[in-house]
Amino acid sequence: MDEWLAFARGPFFRFTFAVMVLGLARSVIVTLWSVARARRLTEHKDVSWGRVAAQTVDWIVPLRHLRQHRLFSGLSVLFHIGVILTPILLWAHIQLIDANLGLSWWALPGGVADVLTLVTVGAALALLLSRLAGRASRVISRAQDWTLPALLTVPFLSGFLAAHPGVNPFPYDPTMLVHVLSGGVCFLVIPFTKLAHMALLPLTRLPSELAWRFPDSYPEAVARQVGKEGQPI
Amino acid sequence: MVHEAAIDVDPESSPRSGAGVEGAGRYSFYVEPYDERNRVRRFLSVMAAVVRHSAYGYWLDLYSRVTTKCSRCADVCPVYDTSGDPRDIPCYRTELILRIYRRYFTVSGMLRARLGTAWELTDSYLDEMAESVYRCTACRRCTMECPLGIDHGLMTHLMRHILSEIGLAPKALVVAVREQLEGRTHNTSAIPVAAMADTCEFLEEELEEQLGFDQVRFPIDVGEAEYLFVPAVSDFLLEADTLMGNAAVFYATGCSWTIGSGDFDGINYGLFINDRYLRRIIRQLTAEVRRLRCSKIMVGECGHASRSAKDYVPVFGGADPPEVVSCVEWTHRMLEEGRLTLNPDIVTDVVTYHDPCNVARKGWIIDQPREILRSFCANYVEMDPCGSDNYCCGGGGGTVSIDEIRSFRTGVGGKRKADQIRASGARYVVAPCANCKKQLRELVEDHELGEVEVVGLHDLILKAIEIPGARPAAERRVEDPTAI
Repeated sequence: MDEWLAFARGPFFRFTFAVMVLGLARSVIVTLWSVARARRLTEHKDVSWGRVAAQTVDWIVPLRHLRQHRLFSGLSVLFHIGVILTPILLWAHIQLIDANLGLSWWALPGGVADVLTLVTVGAALALLLSRLAGRASRVISRAQDWTLPALLTVPFLSGFLAAHPGVNPFPYDPTMLVHVLSGGVCFLVIPFTKLAHMALLPLTRLPSELAWRFPDSYPEAVARQVGKEGQPI
Repeated sequence: MVHEAAIDVDPESSPRSGAGVEGAGRYSFYVEPYDERNRVRRFLSVMAAVVRHSAYGYWLDLYSRVTTKCSRCADVCPVYDTSGDPRDIPCYRTELILRIYRRYFTVSGMLRARLGTAWELTDSYLDEMAESVYRCTACRRCTMECPLGIDHGLMTHLMRHILSEIGLAPKALVVAVREQLEGRTHNTSAIPVAAMADTCEFLEEELEEQLGFDQVRFPIDVGEAEYLFVPAVSDFLLEADTLMGNAAVFYATGCSWTIGSGDFDGINYGLFINDRYLRRIIRQLTAEVRRLRCSKIMVGECGHASRSAKDYVPVFGGADPPEVVSCVEWTHRMLEEGRLTLNPDIVTDVVTYHDPCNVARKGWIIDQPREILRSFCANYVEMDPCGSDNYCCGGGGGTVSIDEIRSFRTGVGGKRKADQIRASGARYVVAPCANCKKQLRELVEDHELGEVEVVGLHDLILKAIEIPGARPAAERRVEDPTAI
């Protein structure tokens, strides 16, 4: 058990964390490069940066959009607040970072962290039910849309239990092992699934600004490549 | 608008019955016969060429990664709202092309194929795609609602382009483009120049009768005029009042404008089917601007014509492309500068405004027509929702020109709009868009909305405009309430 824990907290954590960071960095860099290239290719290069910035902020803090699909929207906001703030502002995590990197910052009070953790888990499960109940969301959901919310609850639940031995039916060490392993699995899948929107969401307004501005030469180049150039309509 | 003679099918048959046209029975719209061999391979070849020569591949990649399948798009789609059909969920439709991209254009997709577990593209999948993309009105409400910014309108646009390049596009739209680019008349309604000139003369006489003087003209081929004016060519056939309203405003405000005999059609159905046609139509337009040495383009009352010109003259219009202005912008500016006088006692009925998607969705033309209408319509009411949130008329994306899908267009796609019009209690629905007008009038008929009159913005302006030296608006008021 000790060896497993050492492995999970050491090499496994470092590896999976690196995969997440590098994978997301790759996606961000590729997206920015794509946008720059798309702008180079088109004749119409004026971009309304102010509008892009306004729309980006608008969707990161989506107050205007809560009106639509109220239940899903509310649950989603709660879930995201929990899933983003809890791991970063948890005292126990900050202690680990301080011990390893010498960095530390303000931590959530214990009770608040507990509430946020349970809210995150509850919201994730409620979102799953909401996805099942909605006709449109049910039809278009893929495997990852069902499994990822469930997966995300595991590190939160196991972390909560590990931090509260009083309510934990399992011994501490296996609970902590599940916590670190499941956290690592989450890191691993993030760059390869829709969870990449963690890093990509702020960049998604830029493409729309440019995506309709085709390169001048593209339509005829396609026709030439497939042998349709000069053919009558 | 499609020239009537080009559709020579038995009106009793529907495409689905399989009568008349080859390729019928599979789609709800007619398709001209084309080579259907190796469609899958040819589709992928075109898609590969598109990915190679444009930036589409970047967006396909990004959207593939971030799509969360939250279904917010479905909540705002007027078509899905009424049909409940999964094919109408924007993200479902987008997934049709993302699936192909992942399978054939990504490393993981190709690896999975080697392991024998991958999905394959089939002929029937392409048929499903064709049907799905032409149920969409390209209104882009879904794009505005997607938290990940996925441009479903762009994906539909791409699918239509690739399908068109393998020969699969609605006959109604293809015929219109063919006449505009390769026909003798160079416009979608096959109106010869002489007929257009005759129409202008007739409109001048009409204006003379209404205004009591003959100063308002329709200039044709005036070199070095500031604005080349391009309405939807169907206006010459169907929207006399809109054109007369345009001409009256131009005269009253001292606008330097001309119609061009080389290109008097702002319609650009390339926007709805194929980027090559989109570009060629833009080039035809800018060639006319340069021939007449005009410096700017003024588009008439047509949503997609305005958007195609505004967005694509800078992209495809060559070096130093001319500025593009909507006639609504012009009229609004003139009103603000005090160069236009509108009598506020003429239009007393309840008036509401429909936002054409192509000019309103991204926020271009929203406040201007409202400020104009509020300045002279005593009884102006808003629809709910309005502005960039407004609903599509149901005939967008070229679907209005596909007559054989009218019952779908008015019964499903346009149902929300019909409800909005009814709820507004308006007598006049103002829509500065030729296609919206056709669709809205069909909605009024098919949903039995009674005395509702669909008019252009400049139709109402024509009633109320005061021009020094001309007969006052109050004296011009026509007694017959059903005539405009």
